[in-house]
Amino acid sequence: MKVFNNGKAPDRKLNIYLIVGAVMTGLVLIWAVVGIFWTPYSTTQMSASLRFHAPTWSHPFGTDNFGRDIFSRVMKAVGTSAIISILVVAISAVLGILLGAITGYFGGIVDAVVMRVVDAVNGFPSILLALVIISLLGKGRQNVVLALGMAFTPSFVRIVRGEFIRLRDADYIVRARLMGVNKPRILFVHILPNIFSTFWVSVMIGFNNAILAESGLSYLGIGVQAPDATLGSMLSDAQGYLAKSPWFALAPGLTIVWTVLGAAMLSEGIGKLKK
Amino acid sequence: MISIKNLTISFSGKKAVDGISLQLEPGEILGLVGESGSGKSVTALTLMGLLASEGVMETGEIDFNGQILLKAGVKPDQKLLRSYRGDHMSMIFQEPMTSLNPTMKIGPQIDEQLLLHAKNDFKDAAERKKRVLETLEGVGLRDVEKVYDSYPHQLSGGMRQRAMIAMAVILHPDLIIADEPTTALDVTIQNQIVKLLKDIRDRENNSMIFITHDLNLARRICTRLAVMKDGKIVEMGPTEDIFTKPQTDYAKKLIAAVPGRKKSVAVDSAENESDKNVENKSESKADKKIVGEAGGTKKSPILTVNDLSVFYNERSNKIFGKTVHKCVVEHASFEIYPGETLGLVGESGCGKSSLCKAILGINKDITGSVKSATVRPQMVFQDPYSSLNPSKSIGWLLEEPLRAEDMIEKSIKYTKEMRREMAIDMLRRVGLDEYYYDRMPHQLSGGQRQRVSIGQALITKPSLIFADEPVSALDVTIQDQVLELLESLQEEYGLAYLFISHDINVIYRVSDRIMVMKKGQILEIGDKDQLFDNPQHPYTKELLAES
Repeated sequence: MKVFNNGKAPDRKLNIYLIVGAVMTGLVLIWAVVGIFWTPYSTTQMSASLRFHAPTWSHPFGTDNFGRDIFSRVMKAVGTSAIISILVVAISAVLGILLGAITGYFGGIVDAVVMRVVDAVNGFPSILLALVIISLLGKGRQNVVLALGMAFTPSFVRIVRGEFIRLRDADYIVRARLMGVNKPRILFVHILPNIFSTFWVSVMIGFNNAILAESGLSYLGIGVQAPDATLGSMLSDAQGYLAKSPWFALAPGLTIVWTVLGAAMLSEGIGKLKK
Repeated sequence: MISIKNLTISFSGKKAVDGISLQLEPGEILGLVGESGSGKSVTALTLMGLLASEGVMETGEIDFNGQILLKAGVKPDQKLLRSYRGDHMSMIFQEPMTSLNPTMKIGPQIDEQLLLHAKNDFKDAAERKKRVLETLEGVGLRDVEKVYDSYPHQLSGGMRQRAMIAMAVILHPDLIIADEPTTALDVTIQNQIVKLLKDIRDRENNSMIFITHDLNLARRICTRLAVMKDGKIVEMGPTEDIFTKPQTDYAKKLIAAVPGRKKSVAVDSAENESDKNVENKSESKADKKIVGEAGGTKKSPILTVNDLSVFYNERSNKIFGKTVHKCVVEHASFEIYPGETLGLVGESGCGKSSLCKAILGINKDITGSVKSATVRPQMVFQDPYSSLNPSKSIGWLLEEPLRAEDMIEKSIKYTKEMRREMAIDMLRRVGLDEYYYDRMPHQLSGGQRQRVSIGQALITKPSLIFADEPVSALDVTIQDQVLELLESLQEEYGLAYLFISHDINVIYRVSDRIMVMKKGQILEIGDKDQLFDNPQHPYTKELLAES
């Protein structure tokens, strides 16, 4: 109803998603940042006498098969996983903006070629694609980032391209062209800020997928290598001892759930914010 | 027959309708006029029992033929309302494309009314179909069998609106509510629909509530008018009374803002002038053009369009279909002189905007030539909501043309302070205050945005501006203000306008010369008065018949 929707009195409902999401993500981030610089125990120090301890006050998440403190290792792992995921999202988002802006705005032959490549890449599940790339580049942290970054780019290209197609013929863009504004400026100053609300949501979703994908790769043993821990590699280590010491798997598993849920709610909250 | 008593409706505490009362007799067409947000549609929707759930009916009652339909504080009886909707009252909406179901054929959609409300009267499907076809014929559709089996997208806008009307009248309701039923249609179609609604009223003697923001239209169809403002009826009375002697200030303002020829005065003087012209000149068409030129200015044209045709590629829907090179503007030739307003009038899809865009160089698929004596003519668009970048502040938007100019010329002609100063100066010139500099577009009203748009077009001081329906999306009083602004800026800067509109009244008000376009062809160019008093082309005559 146009009559009521005059934009002057938007519904100021409490954005519960945004608040809960921000708090959950914030806690994880603080935990991770602290973990980079300080952990209660060494994350690599092994101890035969401390193997498979159940959670106690001194080891809140228990200890693992080498007697290492799981709380400390999860702290460290969250940081590692988060950094990898952020880098993955950063790579794919930047590539996505560049390719999406150019293909969406200009269309034509460039669009056709780039989009067919994107389609081809999109045809593979991203984990599988990352597996292929890693088997070509070799294991290791940088290669995981690179592989996942490439695997995640297509979805960003699609989203950005769609938004650019939507906006390229908007009246205000036509007017900018009439003013003689140059093309890069139209793309990145006039159009780009208008797609941020959509874009941030996909960035948060991308971050979640990256956490999960990285965990998946580490679980398969081709991600970050021991003794460094990521959430995925810890899960992988723990799976042999599920019956004996369930908290070993529970701690990294719940951390993944917490992080992903927080980021998902945050993205939902951001999405609602802009409407 | 219908009476509304002291109706008040509020949305989260804010009153949308504030204590209105009105009665309606059979055969009467009551016009609800007023600007957007004045509560016209809310009143109509409430009457239909379709008030949105956020709306609260605070006081009042609605009485339909002695039956109380709605009463404040009493939970509406949905079953009763449902039985009244369709049977006794029905509604015609503004946009037939969105109010018809796109996945259903026209016939079955109309048939649904019979199925739901008059099942007992029609025993079998064949009978119902016969009735639907009759009704379709009754609303002036030809080839009704084909229409029956068409989907909405296969019909033109006018045909869709006729189908909508068929759906509304098939059960012979006592009351028809028409909410801006012709706003989305072209002028000539608009006329036909208005005539159809009148015919239906004459035939069936039902009453109508006709909601519109277009006072000229209301004058043509309504027997009585209720002028609404801020949820209140400020004046109500027979249509001609309100037009000739409005009582309240608001009604006076509204009537005064209606663009149109002041027929009694203007036509007389125009006639005198053209009489003189007749004496002086042998009236060949070629001569007329020279007269217009000599009478106005002797300057050389600021824009010369010579034999311009505009094309675009239309891809057929088939998978291997060829793209068709379609001509949307054929052999257009005209000039624009400094300081004049050339009005371009025609229906939607006639190629007005394509012509404009081709001249501005946005569409490059053209033949013929465009010679412009000015650098970068600017354009003002129709929709104030999409012509300002929503992520930028007003100040930034006003300064952007200056930045762009600097970038093109690789110079630093404007410093940051200069740009700011110029932007603020421009804000004042277009009638806005300095503090709008830091506002965002969404904080501005439609009229204010259109002012910013005009300012943005003017800041680089072009001598020619293309205005593509710049006031069509605005309320009448705002429309009046914006037109005044355009006129005063024209004087101040010696601007020339190419002013596009479908509204012949607006065109008459602003133009010095008028160009009539249909289906990509320029039918006629002439001096305003000449064209109005002595239209050459039958289509021009048809257009003028409505003013």
